[in-house]
Amino acid sequence: MEKISVKVCLGTTCFVMGSANLQELIDIVPAKYGDKVDVSGVPCLGLCSTDWEFSKAPYVKVDNDIIKEATVEKVLSAINAKLESK
Amino acid sequence: MFIDIDCNQLKKYNQNAFGDYFVSKRYPDEAKLIAVLSDGLGSGIKANILSCMTATMLLRFVENSQIPIKHAAEIVMNSLPVCKVRKISYSTFSVIDVNDEGDAKIIEEGNPEFLWIKNNEVMTPQYESIPSKTFKNRCMKSYKIHLELGDRLIFCSDGVTQCGLGNSRLKLGLRREGLIQLVLAKLAEEPDISSSDLSAYIVRQAKNIETDRLPKDDISACVLYCREPRTSLVFTGPPFLQKKDAEYAQMFNDFKGKKAICGGTTANLLSRELNIPITMDKAISVGKLPSCSYMDGVDLVTEGILTLTQALEYLELGQITGIDNAAGKLVKFLLDSDCINFMVGAKLNQAHYNPALPIEIEIRKNIIKKMAVVLQDKYFKKVNVQYM
Repeated sequence: MEKISVKVCLGTTCFVMGSANLQELIDIVPAKYGDKVDVSGVPCLGLCSTDWEFSKAPYVKVDNDIIKEATVEKVLSAINAKLESK
Repeated sequence: MFIDIDCNQLKKYNQNAFGDYFVSKRYPDEAKLIAVLSDGLGSGIKANILSCMTATMLLRFVENSQIPIKHAAEIVMNSLPVCKVRKISYSTFSVIDVNDEGDAKIIEEGNPEFLWIKNNEVMTPQYESIPSKTFKNRCMKSYKIHLELGDRLIFCSDGVTQCGLGNSRLKLGLRREGLIQLVLAKLAEEPDISSSDLSAYIVRQAKNIETDRLPKDDISACVLYCREPRTSLVFTGPPFLQKKDAEYAQMFNDFKGKKAICGGTTANLLSRELNIPITMDKAISVGKLPSCSYMDGVDLVTEGILTLTQALEYLELGQITGIDNAAGKLVKFLLDSDCINFMVGAKLNQAHYNPALPIEIEIRKNIIKKMAVVLQDKYFKKVNVQYM
């Protein structure tokens, strides 16, 4: 099975809007899902500049799905949904 | 050629102010540097005021070529008052004016003669003596020399040459001969030693020679080292015109020297244009800043505004060692260079104007402007900023 990739945007906007608090994912995800899911930061997903009027930072990408205003809970439930559908 | 300059000092024991004063300024437009080392009579606050006034006034006179260096030094020599008790002048000084080609003009009055070291040998340059018209016991020496790659100049206050005075081993102090021995031995050990390290070494050794390791006078050592410049380039922010991305990316790629990228969008842009993949650390944040990422052929890749702002703060406060986060790495990157080029993209990220964002999110151009000033004035770097 292909790994699910979780990419946390670490651009300036996302970082100050809350991706700094997603550090937890780095510890939780491997413990919970083993090697089925891969979490990492990315320099910038470039989404804030296209979506800025609505300011939905921080953004996280789970495979190709974008999670707006991401929190640890939102990301975990997105991962669960992905795993179930596979 | 780059002139690496630094000065280290120690106060006389039991004093709370430095009695010697060192000031140095680079003039990038004229490709030159002026430095002054002055030793004020006595020690403590009084000496500090005397030396500070002498040094800053000399620098002011000489900068912008307002007054020729020889004339400026003569004015100061002729006008320094005489101490009633000791019957000598209020302060002594050395002035150095050197350009990037290595043409140096040096004037000394009262300070120990400087050392000029070329290929591990001490040179004996010719000088012109200019006696004071107003005071019989004052005479300044004016040198015109040409420095080459690898040459070093060492200026010091008499605290260095007279350290250890009266103790059993060095009855007359370290003297010039002792200083030469000390410096040549160190250079044999570490031929590429930086000015900062060499001046710190001289000062430390002088202190060790003193009886009970207590400096009996203010100790200062200023070192100039002519070397190939260590150049670096910081690319931050996407260019205003997107169609120029490729052109600027190529410029970045062609740069010979160390390279850093500050900004997520910028890193993506360069990764795309140069076809170099980005890899990340297995951490989201280190010390309240986004962690670094990595690209082949790039020495440092960090987030933009937050890291730059933090790095600027470290530079301004002088907290420059032992910091683990991305800003600490950026500070180290900058301070390990002599000539720093900034390529600053003028494109604005509208998301940064979201009122929900903290007020600390500054405009990139402002941060770089402030950073260029502190790097130039406080750390004596050559800085070049290019907007794109």
